[in-house]
This record gives sequence, structure tokens and C-alpha cells, in this order.
Amino acid sequence: MRAVIRDGIGVFHPQGFLDGTAANSLLSVEDIDVTVKSNASMILVSLKKVIFFNRNGLDAFVKMFHKVRSANHITVGFCNYDKKKYDTIKKFYDDDLSFSLFKTEKIAALFSSSFKEKNKNVLLYSEDKSQRAALAIELHDNGHNPIVAQTKEEFIEKSKIRDAYDLIISDTFLGQMGQKVAARVTGNAIIYSLSSFLDAEIGDTFNITYHNNSLNVGFRLFIFDSYKVISMNIHALNFFSKLASSSAEYNATICFVGMSFEKTPVNFKETLEDAGIMFFEQMDDILQNKELLDELGASSAAVVKNKRALNKVLVTELPNFIDATVATIEMMTNSHAVKDAAKVDKIDILDKNDKIASSIGFYGDLDGMVMLVFPLEIAKKACELLIGENTNDKEMILDTLAELVNIVGGKVKTLLADEHISVDITLPRTYHDVDGLLEVAEGKKGVQVDLSFDNDKFLFFLTR
Amino acid sequence: MITIEQIDLFIEKIPPSPKILQETLSLLNAGDLVKAAKVAKADPALNAYLKELVNKPIYGFKNEVSDISQIFGILGVARSQQAAYNYMISLLSPEKWDMFKLNKSSFYDLQAQLSANWQKIMEHLGINDKNVYSAMSLLPASIIVSEALFSRKINDVELLRSVDEIDLNTVLQRLCKMDLFDICQRIAQKWEMSKSSMTIVQAASGIKPSQNNTVNTLGKWMHMLLFYTLSKPVFIEAGLNDFIYFQIEYVNDIYEDFTKVMEVS
Repeated sequence: MRAVIRDGIGVFHPQGFLDGTAANSLLSVEDIDVTVKSNASMILVSLKKVIFFNRNGLDAFVKMFHKVRSANHITVGFCNYDKKKYDTIKKFYDDDLSFSLFKTEKIAALFSSSFKEKNKNVLLYSEDKSQRAALAIELHDNGHNPIVAQTKEEFIEKSKIRDAYDLIISDTFLGQMGQKVAARVTGNAIIYSLSSFLDAEIGDTFNITYHNNSLNVGFRLFIFDSYKVISMNIHALNFFSKLASSSAEYNATICFVGMSFEKTPVNFKETLEDAGIMFFEQMDDILQNKELLDELGASSAAVVKNKRALNKVLVTELPNFIDATVATIEMMTNSHAVKDAAKVDKIDILDKNDKIASSIGFYGDLDGMVMLVFPLEIAKKACELLIGENTNDKEMILDTLAELVNIVGGKVKTLLADEHISVDITLPRTYHDVDGLLEVAEGKKGVQVDLSFDNDKFLFFLTR
Repeated sequence: MITIEQIDLFIEKIPPSPKILQETLSLLNAGDLVKAAKVAKADPALNAYLKELVNKPIYGFKNEVSDISQIFGILGVARSQQAAYNYMISLLSPEKWDMFKLNKSSFYDLQAQLSANWQKIMEHLGINDKNVYSAMSLLPASIIVSEALFSRKINDVELLRSVDEIDLNTVLQRLCKMDLFDICQRIAQKWEMSKSSMTIVQAASGIKPSQNNTVNTLGKWMHMLLFYTLSKPVFIEAGLNDFIYFQIEYVNDIYEDFTKVMEVS
């Protein structure tokens, strides 16, 4: 099959019924390679004329996407679908969507660096906060003016004024910005989702490296969403007991929410409670109870194991980290960011008042943590693009700062990948004040870099 | 450019169907299965073809069916007539395919899959009309004619397709002023098939819907079946999947029913 290439986007148009066998006959890696060689910066498969597809059908394309993306670092995914198809794909791949989804080719064009038209006013909405941020930043980076709707209601309301926007984006997903997450994050709590039967397999399916790195970064509250769990056996019980003991060394709390003990022995609950796991009936019992949330999530991180020294490899890669940070800030603020001073030492924050911070960990061929400390007002300014309107809601500013750090993490990952260094990143963690950050960072040696944009200063700290 | 006269000439050149086949078709048309089987027995090629066709897995018979009276008995009047048309079409099938990567066996498969699934659809719609059954035979016939036309103009076809991403049906239209479905109609006329067969096939194009509701519904099912069949790897690789543009909006309202009838999952 041959792709139609327009604005640097190569689009394949399969038609009919798409199952595992048909997909491989419709499209080959060679077809994609030819398109890439024609300077396409994006490879998409249009689903407009595909009336039926199943998971196997899409998987065949996704496998090719992975090959092409890892070899060429280009955007890959599907386009031209309706809401039903979008929901089906999201359901098929759940949290493992590693490719992009563009509702239309026009929307995809906005994300292509080869698209000549600039300055488009774009209204956008995604239920996923990280996606809202990623979409807005990419659009801004490509010279457009994104207007981000924070809620579905706001989106519907704003969409009514059609003339105000050149394009409206919904049901769109940027895969290359995302990371493979077994969890979603709320405030400073990480939520893992569990379902069906919990048995010995949990040891393989649960990403323990990710969990341990989240502990290292300073997350202290882990919630297991267990509404969909049918039963748990003794092997899973042992797994969670051990997990609770190891997390206790970090003063971290593990909670189970919505777990029914209809088909699980009730004494399992007692055993888990003895190991320090807490049980709640509803997610809101924790999430809406700010006091409890603070108590569980903001516990002291004083008992941090393995204080690790900064190593040469990490310092060698420092320019990549700085570049990623500078590029992100420049993108977000549309101003020039500069490096003022750098030193290798413990973190040193002179004025601790009115400062907020966010950190993100990375692990793999390299491991460590990036921290960004901003004066509240400066953070607000840096995040203006994502927040959309002026806000004094500290939670929202913190959440947005977390997105900014997430983007820095994503960029670092990409820059390191170019040097064949493979890392994964944790979810970003935020800190209401400097004291919270110091609980994690104090005593750790790292590289501290003072950065500024438009004379607004902020601090970058890289440590292990 | 290929003129209508040239197409007609090509269709004219199609050898007249053998006498035995003509007689068989005429008896089937009159609904006399016994006599039709008796006449058909005299043509070994027809016998062999029918035997190969009905023993394909898509027909789902547990034991091999070999006797022609048995075959006609199992198929019934409408499907026997359709099978006889399929045989007639197979006589036109080229020894060597240039444009489409088909061969004798894969072309028979195409006929068999279209016929057997069309039968399922007829049962689902509660239709038992031999003219409607036979209409499905026209599509493979038209593919043979298109192959013959394209193979003479392969360079022109390649040139047209390199400039723009167009389907072969549009190329056919530009080269001959006739599309796949118009050719179906021309063949139906030549073979003196019923008018309803022609209108159903035209509606199956998805771009020439009929004012008649029944014809239009049959057209939608035929369009969908065509795409369902052309989504099989062997026909995708043969280059048939992008012969015509799939008109997804045209068939949206029968999609659920279709997936149930075909047990698509």
C-alpha cells in the first residue's frame, strides 16, 4: 500500500475489514520505510474507511509503528476515526497507548513540523490532564495558540463559539509524549489499578521497579484501586504483605480501595492490615479528605535508604538535562531561558518562602532525579500556557508544574535515547513548599544549576 | 483511451457459452432441476467445476458431493443457476493474470466466497429469487473484463496511479468511461440476465443508489460483502482491495446485521 504524503504526514488508507491477517497484507514495514524516506515526519493509518477492526488487526500496525518509531523517532498512530472507534482503541490499549491518535488529518497537521500554516487558534480538551498539557505544549511549540478547556463542561461551552477557533481538538492522544504507566497520579498519591483474580502472576505484572523508583522520588501514598478485584489468593496476599513491609521502610502508606471480601477470606484483610495496609470503601474517602490525604501522603521521608553518590555518567549527561529543561521552559514561556551558575553540592535554597517544587525520577541505563524549584509567582508564569487563564489555585499551579516536569522528563528520555541510553521516567511529584522537597533531597549531593528566563530565576537540581 | 465499442467488442469476443451450458441454464431458469442435471452431465468440464466449487470449505459440506443431480438438489434452483453462471464466467478467466495477482484457484475461491456468503445473506433477508442470486456472479465477471482491459494499458494505469492516489475503478472510468459496475451491466445485457440483476449491481457501487428500497438494501449488502471478501489477505495481495472506494456511510445502517450474519468478531 502507498501512503499519501501531505504536509510531511504520510497517511495510509486501508479499507474494509481489518483483522490480524488482513492488516499484514495491507501494510508492510517496507511500505512505511518508503514513506519515511520521502521525508515524512509522521506516519498515520487512516481508519476512515475501515468499518471493522479488532485488537489483532490494530496490533499488526502497532508492531510496525514501534519498529519505525524506534528507528526514525517519528510520530506514528491512527487518524480519521469517530468517537466510537476512538473509545474502542482506548479500551483495547488502556494505559498502554504508545502511539498517537488524531481525530482528523487536519488536527494531525497542526502537530507536524512541516505544516506551513501557523498561528491557528485551537480549542482543545482531553479528559487526561497530562494529555491536555502535552497537546497544548506541542501546539504552542509548532507556533499555534492553544486554548485549553479544563473541564468537559468548559469545552462544550467554548465549542459553541465555533468562529472563535480555527480548529477544535478532542478525542486526540499524543502517544510519543506519554510514558508507559501502570498508574495514574492524583496530587502526590499514585493510584494502581487492579482487576479480576489476584494470584502469583501479580509478581510479574506489577512493575516493582517503577514502584521503587516512585518511592525514591518521594511518593509516599500508594492506592490500589480494587473495585474490579474478584478475589485474592495466598500468593497475592504474600506479595502485598511484602510490598507493604518494603514500603514501610520509606514511611510510605499503601491503601486498598473498593476491595470486596466476598470471595476472598476475611482473615486476609487482617493479615494485610497487620502488614500496615489500610482499607477504604470509596476512593473519595481518601481523595476528598484533604486532611487524611496530607497525613498519609506527606509523612516524613526521613528514612530514605541508599543515599547514592552522583556519578560521572550522570554528570556527563548533564547538558541533556539542562537542554531539556531550557527547551521546555522556552516553549512554555516563549522567552529565552539562560543558565546562570552551576555547582556540585547539596541543594542550597536561600529563601524558602513562597516556593513550590516538583521532581521526577528516571531509571534504566541511568538513574537519578531532576528537581525544579520555582517561586510560586514564577511557576504560575511558566505554566500560564497550560493553565490558560490567571489562577491563584495553588493545587492547579502545582499540578501544572508537575506536567511541566513531566515534559522535561519526556524530553530527557528522548535526548538520551538518541545517545542509545534507555531510561524510563516516574510520575512527577510535587511539593507545596521547600521543606517537603528537602525531606527528600536534603543531604544528597547533586548538580545545582541556577536558571532564569526574563530575569525570573528558578532552580534546577540533578541528583541520585 | 478505450472506447465503449472496444469494450463491447471484447465482451462480444467472449465465446458463446457452450450449447450444453445454455440448455442447462435455460432448464434451471424454468426450474427443472432433474432435466437440467441430466443435460449438464454431458459436459465433463461443467461437472468438474461444480464439484470443485461445492466442495470448497466455505460451502461447509461434511462429505464430498460428487454427483451433479446431488449437487443441483443440494443447491436448489437459484443457487444452481448461480453456480452455472459462475462456471460460464470461469471459462473467461485468463490463463495468466497481469493486473491482479490472481490465478485459477484464487479466482474460484473468490467466486465461491461471494456466492456462499451471498446465500447466507439471502437466507437472512428471506429472499429466494434466482435473479437476485445470479446478480452476485456479475462482479467476478466484471473483474475478468477489467483485468483484460487493464492488462492492455498497464503503463497508463501505473502512470495515472503514480500522479494521484486513485482507486482502480476511477482509473477504469477515466480510461474507458465505464466503471466496474457498468461493465457488470454490459455483461448482464449480453447474457440476457434479468434487469433486476443489473440494478442491484449498480446499487452495489455505493455511489449510484437505487430509488427502489429493496434494490437499494440488496445493493448495500452486496457492497458490504464485496468489501468483506476483498479484505481477505489473498485478495488484498491480489490488488483487489483498492479496486473501488469503500462507501462506509452507505452501508452503516446494515453493519450490525452484517457482522452477525457473517459472524465477524
